[in-house]
Amino acid sequence: MKTILQAENLEKSYRVGRVDVHALRGVSLDVHEGEFVAIMGPSGCGKSTMLHLLGGLLTPTSGRIIIDEEDLTAASDAARTDIRRRKIGFVFQRFNLFPTLTAEGNLRLAERIQSDGKGDDPERRHEVLRLLRLEDKMHHKPLELSGGEQQRVALARAVVTRPAIILADEPTGNLDSENSAIVLNMFQELNYRFNQTIIMITHNPEAAAMCRRIVQMRDGQIVERTAAVHIS
Amino acid sequence: MNNLVVSNIRQRPLRTLMSVLGVALGVTLVMLFTGLAHGMSNDLQRRSSNMRAEIIFTRPGSQQLTASLMNLSTQYTSRLEAIEGVERATPVAIQANQTGRGFGFENVEGVEWESFAAINETKIVRGRAPAEIDEIVIDETKARNSKTDVGGTLRLFGNKPYRVTGVYAPESGARIKMPLAAMQDALEAPDKCSYILVKCHNAAEQETVAERINSELPGNKMQLTRDVVVNFEKSIPYLGTFLRVLVGLAAVVSALVVMLAMYTTITERTREIGILKALGASRGFIISTIEKEAVTISSIGLLLGFVIAFVSGFLINRIYGLVFEYEWEWALVAAAIGLLGGVLGALYPATRAANLDAVNALSYE
Ligand SMILES: Nc1ncnc2c1ncn2[C@@H]1O[C@H](COP(=O)(O)OP(=O)(O)O)[C@@H](O)[C@H]1O
Ligand SMILES: [Mg+2]
Repeated sequence: MKTILQAENLEKSYRVGRVDVHALRGVSLDVHEGEFVAIMGPSGCGKSTMLHLLGGLLTPTSGRIIIDEEDLTAASDAARTDIRRRKIGFVFQRFNLFPTLTAEGNLRLAERIQSDGKGDDPERRHEVLRLLRLEDKMHHKPLELSGGEQQRVALARAVVTRPAIILADEPTGNLDSENSAIVLNMFQELNYRFNQTIIMITHNPEAAAMCRRIVQMRDGQIVERTAAVHIS
Repeated sequence: MNNLVVSNIRQRPLRTLMSVLGVALGVTLVMLFTGLAHGMSNDLQRRSSNMRAEIIFTRPGSQQLTASLMNLSTQYTSRLEAIEGVERATPVAIQANQTGRGFGFENVEGVEWESFAAINETKIVRGRAPAEIDEIVIDETKARNSKTDVGGTLRLFGNKPYRVTGVYAPESGARIKMPLAAMQDALEAPDKCSYILVKCHNAAEQETVAERINSELPGNKMQLTRDVVVNFEKSIPYLGTFLRVLVGLAAVVSALVVMLAMYTTITERTREIGILKALGASRGFIISTIEKEAVTISSIGLLLGFVIAFVSGFLINRIYGLVFEYEWEWALVAAAIGLLGGVLGALYPATRAANLDAVNALSYE
């Protein structure tokens, strides 16, 4: 199976005043195409930092990241942005939709950025919308949608551009259990139907249980990798 | 059109309106001032070019056609007429009259109607020439602007009533003319005038005649009408400089207004910029999005500025009789200022946005 993401010995420290906060202390991770990986661990253990590094929003203090055969860590700032544009779809806890745009406007903006002005793919858009059951919400603005619906729009926006990897940071953290279940189901659908590679940070053991692999982190390090089936 | 740009502009209608007005203000300023300068000088020039006398004879201290000193003795008139080559000479007194409506001054001329009309080929189109010391004639424009005609009354020099006895054409010099004696009486300057117009037998010999006058009546000032009339715009000192400074200020105003608007916009939308970055938007994409917004605002302001300039120019002309003539060159300058101000004003906020740290921007409240 093809390795789509390769992280080697990632370290990241933040400078806070005169002290260095070591958020990541040597993390290595390989993810294959079509995998659905959960990342778990206590608050402050470096999960978000790792996700931001993998998506090229941050640069590591040391280590190497290869995404779909492109070296993210060797790339310039502009090149990293470009790799992110072509290969990565982000989903955040706070949905992060553009409040002034409709659901469709949000999707089209992502498509426009992704396609670099080379036109959009209405077929893909409709397929994604059907899958996420959003067809009748397309003309709503985010504030007119429930949290679950907003997160589905965010997910649609992330996936519509066919990214190699979806990086999700606690996507159900702001949702009630019912909506969490719906959104998680959709992640699973995407993973199953499109063979979409997903890396998802979560606190929710049920969510993690859906994944084929669970990575446990603590204090900036990976402490355990398990197959999901055995998690209680 | 970019959806994000439009929705952003509509999101804050009041701020958009303020920025639009700011740009419009700059454009209006440029249009009105240049239009006024051009219009007034053209108007003056048109009126002066109806002057048929070739030579203007004044005292050395006097300036030009618009001067209002009465320091020249009318006795020079007959002495001038005695000089070879001079067909006719006529004394003119000129005095600024503060107009009732506060907006500046308007010249009034005192003339000996018969000889003045003969030299300038001026005709009374309605009524009759002024004869008494409380009588005046006006031109068509003055009649229209002051809504006065033959039989009406105008108040000049403080609050003195003058009867309008006639309307003359074509326009030439001051729009209001009274008998020279009336002017001398009003200003208590008997036997004085401001300048004497000299008409030559042969226009081609005006220079020779002028030299002859100079040698026979030394110590006075001689001007050829054609030199005086060439270009009022150029003859008003520093007008060009003033207009350029004004244009510069308008540019700064537009740029500052747009800069402020865009600056608050990007601060307010920090998180959205973070989202754009997470979606993989390049620096160029972010800068161009913000620039498009600025250009849209500037363009609307530009159009509004033109509309305001035309409407207010029309109204000011109606109310105060000031003449506005807009020129394409200045309209283009105003347009360039509005747009350039917008583009440059947005440049700093836009680059700042493009340089934001993505993760920090995403966590911005
Ligand atoms: N921008 C930052 N500046 C300084 N310290 C940071 C910054 N971001 C995260 N940290 C620190 O790095 C550590 C890991 O943070 P984070 O990756 O957000 O953890 P998690 O997502 O697992 O809760 C924490 O100690 C946090 O305080
Ligand atoms: Mg986190």
